[in-house]
Amino acid sequence: MTQSEMALAMGPEAAHEESHEQSPFGIQSRKLVMWLFIIADAATFGAILFGYGYLRAGSPNWSRPFAFMPTILNGMVMTAVLLTSSLTMLFAVAAAQADRRESSVRWLGLTALLGAAFAGLHLREWFKMFAEGWSTSTNPLGGSALFGGTFFSITGLHLLHVTAGVVALTVIAIGFRRGRFDAAHVETTGLYWHFVDVVWMFVFPLVYLMNARGGIS
Amino acid sequence: MSERQDMASMESTTEPGMRLYVAIWIGLLLIVGVEVALTYAGLAAGVLLSALLALAVVEAGIGVMFFMHLKYERRLLFWSLIPGLIFVLLLMNHLWRDAARMVLLRP
Repeated sequence: MTQSEMALAMGPEAAHEESHEQSPFGIQSRKLVMWLFIIADAATFGAILFGYGYLRAGSPNWSRPFAFMPTILNGMVMTAVLLTSSLTMLFAVAAAQADRRESSVRWLGLTALLGAAFAGLHLREWFKMFAEGWSTSTNPLGGSALFGGTFFSITGLHLLHVTAGVVALTVIAIGFRRGRFDAAHVETTGLYWHFVDVVWMFVFPLVYLMNARGGIS
Repeated sequence: MSERQDMASMESTTEPGMRLYVAIWIGLLLIVGVEVALTYAGLAAGVLLSALLALAVVEAGIGVMFFMHLKYERRLLFWSLIPGLIFVLLLMNHLWRDAARMVLLRP
């Protein structure tokens, strides 16, 4: 009798277990898939940040339009909000793993609210810039138009990730409350949310602080 | 035993407490404050860029290792994911030479 015939003789469930090796990483498949997505997405953000870097280095008339008040201060508040949302996400995961569903759902809700606040602050800043004449192809200061193109592309891609994260957190919170999802789902969503935070750790200094007016001698 | 039970028994149980997470959160906020202070310290662009990048890497490292729990997973996961990503990013950095070329060739 072959190995597969032996597995089939044990019944369908046992056959399924026998035919699958344990993961060498010691994590569930969904968590591994999320890690692989995160690594691929990190390379994507790396590519656009490097692209921004060499466009900036190759443009002698690069604008540095951001004053401390309100843009840099707004960026600091956004950073604090996103970092705090990572902390609340950790609380949500810990509560989910301890099977405290109501507590986990509350933390997930707070995390989603903080994410929405971050998106709101970001959009407010965008619309203020639009009103000043900035766009992906125009620079009201007369410098390189590439500033708008790179700024709105990078922050837009990040904002898209935040928005997707808020939707995912809401769906997971509702599903977890109803018992459709388990703690592993919450943890995997948390991985994504922390990644969004990690990306911002590069976007804020490179895109905001490096373009602060009066910040570089 | 289901895959879920298998994995639950395989994953590390030495996870950090919430106090550590709160301490890390405060530390990350402080690093952001340092970044802003450096921005207005009147540093040359190259020095400022190096300092901000170094601090961003520290922040990202802390985020990945602690918040994303990579420190508490099997080492194989770290070695399978992170060196490859760093290699790809270093290859991208290699293209910085093109940026210098663009500046030098500009009339």
